[in-house]
Amino acid sequence: MAKVIYGVWKGQVYDNRDKQLFEIEDSPDFAEFDEFDPGNPIKAFMGGKGFFVFAKDVSLLDIALCYTRRTAHESCGKCTPCRMGTRILEDRLESLIAGEAGPETLDEIGELTDHITSTSLCGLGQTAAVALGEMLTHFRDELEREIELQRASGGARDRGQQSCSTYVTAPCIEECPSKVDVPRYIDYIKDGKFTHSVGVVLQKYPMAATCGRVCVRFCEMACRRTQVDEAVGIKVLKRFVADKEKYVTDRWFTPDLIAERKPAELKVAVIGSGPAGISAAYHLLLKGYPVEVFESMTEPGGMAAVGIPEYRLPKEDVLRKEVSIIESLGGRIHYNQRLGQHFTLDDLRDRGFKAIFLGVGAHKGKGLGIPGEERSVAGYVTGVKFLLFINHYHINMGLPMELGERMVVVGGGNVAMDCVRSALRMGVKDVHLVYRRTRESMPADLEEIEAAEKEGVHFHYLTHPTRLVTEDGKVQGIELVEMEQGEPDASGRRSVRPREGSEFMLDCDFVIPAIGQAVDHSFLSPEDSIELNRWGLIKADETSLVTDRPGVFAGGDAVTGPATLIQAMAQGERAARSIDDYLTYGRVRFDKNDRFSQLLRSIRMLNPEYVDKPVKHIYRIKAQELDPEERKRIFEEVEKPIRVEEAYTEANRCMRCYRVYSVTTEK
Amino acid sequence: MQGLINGKPVEFTEDETILSVARRHGVFIPTLCELADAEHTPGTCRVCLVEIRREGHDPDVVTSCNTPMEPGMEVLTRTQIVREKQRLQVELLLGDHDQDCATCVRHGKCELQDAAQFVGLQRSRYGRRVYFRGRTRDESSVSVVRDMTRCIRCHRCVHVCRDVQGTDVLVLHEKGLDAEIGVRDSLALGTSDCISCGQCTLVCPTGALAEVDDTEQVIDFFYDPDVFTVVQMAPATRIALGEEFYMEPGSNVEGKMITALKQLGADVVLDTNFTADLVIMEEGTELLGRLENGGKLPMITSCSPGWVNYCEKNYPEHLDHVSTTKSPQQCFGALAKTYLAGKMGVDPAKVRVVSIMPCTAKKEEAQRPEMTRDGVPDVDVVLTTRECARLLKREGVWLPDLEASGFDNDWMGSYSGAAEIFGTTGGVMEAAIRTVHYVVTGQELEGVVYAPVRGYEQLREAVVDLGEKGTIKVCVAHGLKAAKHVMERIAAGEADWTFVEIMGCPGGCMGGGGQPRIKKSYQSFWHERQQAIYRIDERCEVRQSHNNPLITMIYDEFLGEPNGHRSHELLHTTYRDRKQVVHHTMKEIWDELKA
Repeated sequence: MAKVIYGVWKGQVYDNRDKQLFEIEDSPDFAEFDEFDPGNPIKAFMGGKGFFVFAKDVSLLDIALCYTRRTAHESCGKCTPCRMGTRILEDRLESLIAGEAGPETLDEIGELTDHITSTSLCGLGQTAAVALGEMLTHFRDELEREIELQRASGGARDRGQQSCSTYVTAPCIEECPSKVDVPRYIDYIKDGKFTHSVGVVLQKYPMAATCGRVCVRFCEMACRRTQVDEAVGIKVLKRFVADKEKYVTDRWFTPDLIAERKPAELKVAVIGSGPAGISAAYHLLLKGYPVEVFESMTEPGGMAAVGIPEYRLPKEDVLRKEVSIIESLGGRIHYNQRLGQHFTLDDLRDRGFKAIFLGVGAHKGKGLGIPGEERSVAGYVTGVKFLLFINHYHINMGLPMELGERMVVVGGGNVAMDCVRSALRMGVKDVHLVYRRTRESMPADLEEIEAAEKEGVHFHYLTHPTRLVTEDGKVQGIELVEMEQGEPDASGRRSVRPREGSEFMLDCDFVIPAIGQAVDHSFLSPEDSIELNRWGLIKADETSLVTDRPGVFAGGDAVTGPATLIQAMAQGERAARSIDDYLTYGRVRFDKNDRFSQLLRSIRMLNPEYVDKPVKHIYRIKAQELDPEERKRIFEEVEKPIRVEEAYTEANRCMRCYRVYSVTTEK
Repeated sequence: MQGLINGKPVEFTEDETILSVARRHGVFIPTLCELADAEHTPGTCRVCLVEIRREGHDPDVVTSCNTPMEPGMEVLTRTQIVREKQRLQVELLLGDHDQDCATCVRHGKCELQDAAQFVGLQRSRYGRRVYFRGRTRDESSVSVVRDMTRCIRCHRCVHVCRDVQGTDVLVLHEKGLDAEIGVRDSLALGTSDCISCGQCTLVCPTGALAEVDDTEQVIDFFYDPDVFTVVQMAPATRIALGEEFYMEPGSNVEGKMITALKQLGADVVLDTNFTADLVIMEEGTELLGRLENGGKLPMITSCSPGWVNYCEKNYPEHLDHVSTTKSPQQCFGALAKTYLAGKMGVDPAKVRVVSIMPCTAKKEEAQRPEMTRDGVPDVDVVLTTRECARLLKREGVWLPDLEASGFDNDWMGSYSGAAEIFGTTGGVMEAAIRTVHYVVTGQELEGVVYAPVRGYEQLREAVVDLGEKGTIKVCVAHGLKAAKHVMERIAAGEADWTFVEIMGCPGGCMGGGGQPRIKKSYQSFWHERQQAIYRIDERCEVRQSHNNPLITMIYDEFLGEPNGHRSHELLHTTYRDRKQVVHHTMKEIWDELKA
């Protein structure tokens, strides 16, 4: 556990300089701070709220210069104090290290750090000089001593061995599994450069317009603007730029994007063309590997294709177009190729694939576990299967579906919302949703819940199914029981239990359980040597996504369990880096940025993000929607694109909360 | 809601900024990037600092332009810390600004210098060439020069180009010290979609954006004994030039301008208003011809070169709506080198035409290949109103001191009030209506003035009663955002107008990109300028173009009839499709992102 020798964070001063190392108490906050990469101790850490020194022999001037240089490099250049001030600080620190200036320069540095902090326009400038300012206020003696030594030696003194890594992030970036540089793509919108904006997103994944429609928006939850009024419409802005540019994508993905082609024998197989697989294939192709994708269905997109309804994600115009980027980059997609049925992992190895990515998803719906569902009955299918039928067999292939007059969907997540809203569009007159807790504890997006309410779905909260009623192999209804809430548990969530004697019947023609999915691992055989964990998910290293079988990597829902598009895409990208490392070095290497994220997660409690200056309220724009009465019978996309003027207004709401961090290490 | 500014109670509404509350209560706070009458508060210069005190918070320094006043908040505008920080801010602003002030086009009228004075700056410690030497100086446009070593990133130009004009050509390039206002798609201004309107030069607080200076060329002409210089002055210049000499806004300096230009060495000084009258005859006839022969309608005016550029670059498929009549400037040039030279017995090869225009786009118009006959341009040099002032000052002429004189020329020396109102939005339409009404009905428009097309709304429509011939619907648009609206209506097939006046600049020529700029304001002298134009019209003996006796004479003696053979040769033009689409590859963009 790292020991803080001295430092300042959020105004609190830590000073253990007069103690022996063994006398200093361990700080549990810094459990992660012993080493940066294996065998490389962390000597100091610097961020937007201060700094910590963990070793006695550090050069503060070097630490400060490394950090300041990065802030000057990152300054957008719009506001005066950050643009000019950070550069002057950099120049002054260089002079001090060169032994050309004396301690009197510290007064000027002090004036500038205070000025940059208190008068900069955005989060980057407001935090760029805080740590240096604190260093000067509380540990000026350390700096002066070093300055004198530099002066005496004419800058030639050996300041000991240390090296410095920097990392730039923001709350929205840090919460995004794919670490999309959100403020940057918003900056480009502010600047009217929409192609650049979508280019920022495309650095991370190819499905920008898809993500701009269906993302669950971890970024918006982390947005500091929520403390002022409402989160910036990050998703709607992404959709805006992606849609604006979608007709030119064919021209973008040209062979010159691939910097260096890898040898033809380094073929990689990607199994599954869902968000994880497509993202993995995309990055592998960009790295120059020949990639072939194997898809069990007749169309690409995985859960995005079969699980997300057309009214949220148009398939032809958006999803398929974005998947086709794989082909533009020279990748091949084989359809109707199911692992375990048409080929095995050994087959792929024998066909010369040197690495394999498993992104098979979690497509098996869970049952309710109640009497009556054991036998296969007409009018009872799981949510994922129901959506698959509609999206694939009905809409794509034109097969008819008999859904009856009244339907009951059980569950409270987005899949349940997709089921009820799709059912309306399929012509079911009377759609009911049954959820065992309250509206507030529903995991589905609030927007989805509200949309379903507007479209006329009947919600039954605190209600749970107890028995499926069937007759002649056909659903007749479902028996439900009312639930009552107990005391909150440790996590603050209130337990629920059935209220005895409150059972009642709801007659219906169809029952859809939408309470979760599992990985359908029937395709795996022992010869595949892929291990599963106790939840039936594919076992893979959390960071590197390496499985137990050499050369095989796995990611997406198959590893995480049912999660989100953005998490799957992030894992696909991560797997591509691991595969690249594996094929180049034979092992997965240390990743600086992943490590920084890990460090920041570990000191989350120390690092809250407040807004302390008054900010003018500007509420977020609302995208136009089709009228609920009109839309609830058709699959046309509900949410309409925003106008250019609206995009500028929304982009200008971003407070640009960039933060620079640095780690100083021994080597 | 209530709070305190410098100890005095103030009232405000929710989300009103400190700066706005302070101004309403007469408290001065220095500002730089803000442009209040264009509703532009980007918050980039960070000069308008104040100290705030709130319960439960430490005292804080904030920018007053974008920080809202809160109930119970106490604002202090003159504390020592505020003054020191304002001073340091301007000092930092000067750090990466080329402080070669003596050579700067904004010398003496610079808002950055003002800011330095307001905050009491007496030193500048940070300026180093290395901080700005990498930035762009773009001289590719014949109208506007961009010198980004002087840019302070106030974004006023971006705002005007994007939000006011809708042309959206200017964008931010690079970051850090290299950040500068660039041209979309990294083009040079001269090859970009810029339409040369020059509105950006009106709002630039420093010398980063300015008109191309052509005064040197004019001095060459004046001092060359072999050159016969004919100067023309546009209607909107005489009511604005005085501002450059601290005269009251709206002063009409027509007579003094004539004296000054003659004193400088012009052989003949004449008025673009003469050819404005001529344009009414040509354009009016063209309109009636289109009506009779089923030509393309609505017909749109062609006087404004910014608008013509815009149409060529954005709506080339609708260029057939634009009148083929040249602008008054170009008609003037064509006639000066033919008709006037003949009448005065001067060798046309020796004639050089100099225009004084309220417009930067006129520089580009004069250089159009369509405006050249046998390699000879109609107009040789165009000076904006601002350059005209600079020329006078360079020659030691102080305009207010001069006596007025008149146009004494028997061939092109008179104009009607209808021509003078070309200088404001609605003026070309009103002038046309005065004449078309007469031509169609045989009677002058009652009361002369046609008020329905006057005003400031971006888009104005009117139904003109032409007696027995029925009515026609007309439309007036000023500023390119309004022009875009007109074109979208036309493209959608929803335009039911017969005749449309479009002026590229907001306000029309009186608000032209070559007009005197007003510190810290964009359009504040519009009213005075427009009133001055209407006053000139009112005082004219002749109020309709067709009643200008010299117009009658030129048709009798030289042109024949409007839209006749000679008119077509000299006074009509063609347009080109100049639409361009720049495609970026993702590789280009990613390379830029990695930098």
